[in-house]
Amino acid sequence: MAVTEQHTRRLDLIVPSATTPSLKACCHSGGGIGAGPDAPVVALVGAPNTGKSTLFNALTGSRVTMGNWPGTTVEVSRGIWRTTRVAATCTCEECTCDPEENRLEITLIDLPGAYSLDPHSPDEELTRELLVGVPDDERPDLCVVACDASRLANSLYLVAQLRERGLPMMVALTMMDVAAKRDITIDTDALADVLGCPVVAIDPRRRAGLEALAGSVREAITQPPAAPRPVPATSDQLELDDDRFAWIATSVAAGTRAPSEHPRTFSDKVDRWVTAPVLGPLIFLGVMWAVFQVTTTVAAPLQDFLDGLFSGPLSDGATWLLDQLGLGGTWVQGLVVDGLIAGVGMLLTFVPLMALMFVLLALLEDSGYLARAAVVTDRLMRSIGLPGRAFLPLIVGFGCNVPAISATRILPSARQRVLTALLVPFTSCTARLTVFVMLGSVFFGAYAGTAVFAMYVVSIHLVVLAGLVLRRTLWRTMGTEPLIIDLPAYQVPTLRLTASVTWVRLQGFLKTASGIIVATVCAVWLFQSIPTQPGVAFGEVPVAESAYGVAAQAVTPVFAPAGFAQWQTTSALVVGFVAKEAVISSWAQTYALDEPDGSDPGTLGERVRVDFDTSSGGHPIPAALAFMVFLLAYTPCVATLAAQWREIGPKWTLFGVAMQLVTAWVLAVAVFQVGRLFW
Amino acid sequence: MTALLNPTPGPLRQVLAEVEAGTPTVAEIARRAGLDEVVVHAAVDHLVRSGRLESRELSIGCPPSGCGGCASAGPEGGPGCGRPAPVTGRRPGLVTLTLRRRPSKD
Repeated sequence: MAVTEQHTRRLDLIVPSATTPSLKACCHSGGGIGAGPDAPVVALVGAPNTGKSTLFNALTGSRVTMGNWPGTTVEVSRGIWRTTRVAATCTCEECTCDPEENRLEITLIDLPGAYSLDPHSPDEELTRELLVGVPDDERPDLCVVACDASRLANSLYLVAQLRERGLPMMVALTMMDVAAKRDITIDTDALADVLGCPVVAIDPRRRAGLEALAGSVREAITQPPAAPRPVPATSDQLELDDDRFAWIATSVAAGTRAPSEHPRTFSDKVDRWVTAPVLGPLIFLGVMWAVFQVTTTVAAPLQDFLDGLFSGPLSDGATWLLDQLGLGGTWVQGLVVDGLIAGVGMLLTFVPLMALMFVLLALLEDSGYLARAAVVTDRLMRSIGLPGRAFLPLIVGFGCNVPAISATRILPSARQRVLTALLVPFTSCTARLTVFVMLGSVFFGAYAGTAVFAMYVVSIHLVVLAGLVLRRTLWRTMGTEPLIIDLPAYQVPTLRLTASVTWVRLQGFLKTASGIIVATVCAVWLFQSIPTQPGVAFGEVPVAESAYGVAAQAVTPVFAPAGFAQWQTTSALVVGFVAKEAVISSWAQTYALDEPDGSDPGTLGERVRVDFDTSSGGHPIPAALAFMVFLLAYTPCVATLAAQWREIGPKWTLFGVAMQLVTAWVLAVAVFQVGRLFW
Repeated sequence: MTALLNPTPGPLRQVLAEVEAGTPTVAEIARRAGLDEVVVHAAVDHLVRSGRLESRELSIGCPPSGCGGCASAGPEGGPGCGRPAPVTGRRPGLVTLTLRRRPSKD
């Protein structure tokens, strides 16, 4: 914002007197200035949130006019500060002076908050212009800089710049109570010496220190300003800033007393362990294992209850209703009962589990622990030579791969973006979690949490290994980007935030279930209803002989070395290409339609286990592990592919699909072939 | 009034050097550079304001500023991932600071 002549004219109105006020002590001389045009003008300046406006209100009371500065939207307050020419408690026994004559009115201006005289906003621009952009005789008679005592170094940059210009100024220290709580004590005399201007500690909310402030102001406006602080003869802005910060560091060291040189807070003490190079990753893995263990253990009874609800009363009720409507035994019953209720219902049994998982992750995030996990992850990224900033989209990828792919835009180089976008699909998103939990419960029982946790460990290793291979082959010359992390202090998680974050994420899960899954279920049902043999009516074909079953059987032999060459299993993988949530729904749909003649089909888990047992030649556990690894490593969903297509183009997207499929197949075969030697 | 140039790096250049060297946290920068942590915080804040560092708040999943701050947001600011908009106004969490441009060599 450019300050116009209009601004300057307005300044004349606010700063009506260019004369240096002449204060006279009441007991030793009379006369002096009164209110009005001759009143001294004091400007309150300082960074936002330093208590500047609170101080202004405490000093002026209701004697205030507020409004936008002409030609701007920047609000400036002006008020009258009524004080006395000498201290209110005049002790001169012979004093006969008139209290009216002792009264002093000061024009007080609350300038917009500014961190420095280098403006980055219209507010700061105006403050700068009113302080240094006008002729000397139009400047305020005194600048009172409000400085937050609890964050003194943050406030002193503006002080340094004002001191360089030799403006009449003083410092009012606010937030002293906050500083005291942090065991920070300020030596105002020592600070005044090193800053080269008066320093007064105040508490405007309790009106403490205002009299001392008035005394210092009275004195300061009668004294010539201190000589300007010397600055290096350079035009290099960084050099100048560095010099100011050296002065700030010296001032803080001289003027503040902390319990020790580096007081260790609770967060510091905990961080010593949780961000340690070796122990940090182990603690992180332990915490995540506990999360998965608690999730699978606590949610299991609720899942069983919902499973019974959907497969029992709800399915029976829908069948009865369709019978009453004359639709029993038709394709409508197949779609509604065996498709929608079986498929979507099975997915909805995971709602308690996902809710619990989201609660635990929100607690970790809100407490500040996940930030430490980010440090651990970042260190790992650096140690293998990957760009530090890449950990941002990769962490997002553990929630959902689609925004993670988009988040690769934060990387400055095209090579880094391509590399990270190729690694993101290996991060295990929450959609895969449902499948992992189901298979973990079916095949690993009480160790389900450990099995799920193992998939996350495999996911991290996949990211690291794939990153290393790509860097050593395709992008050997890629540079790294420096990055630091500002860790928040640990805090007690709040119920409101935890609940709202959990609800938002659960809504996302439910929205996916109700949108993509319903569409996928309908598509799967359609293909399962299309006969491949002549003479069979639509919707009355056995699933194994439907277009769905025949297509699945065509690709099934590919997975024989991995131990899960069963068409029901491989068809779920094909559906999972659309969205991983659809794997379970398609299983439920397939097995609901594919019941043996008159026999009790058993639960979905039991039927999946039987198929894995058959396809693996009696080694269902390594086959299930191989399936989980394949599910982890191959293409997450079509939405991720679309995001990759948009961000890194078709060539790299197709390269990524091929890389994921090859990696997934090789790993699955390796897991099964090695695992069958032990289980 | 002018002073001689200081040949040894001051706090600001020390902080920038630590960022470039890959020191991962503000606390570690303070320890390694022998600076008061409040000075490091002030230096980092200044470097962010002056555009030498980029500050980015990270939340797992969605940006705290809502869909408008997300790279996958639609042209009208709606969610680009099919998920509902996240809550806003959360407490300060993990913040990453990234070097935006190299400091002056002279």
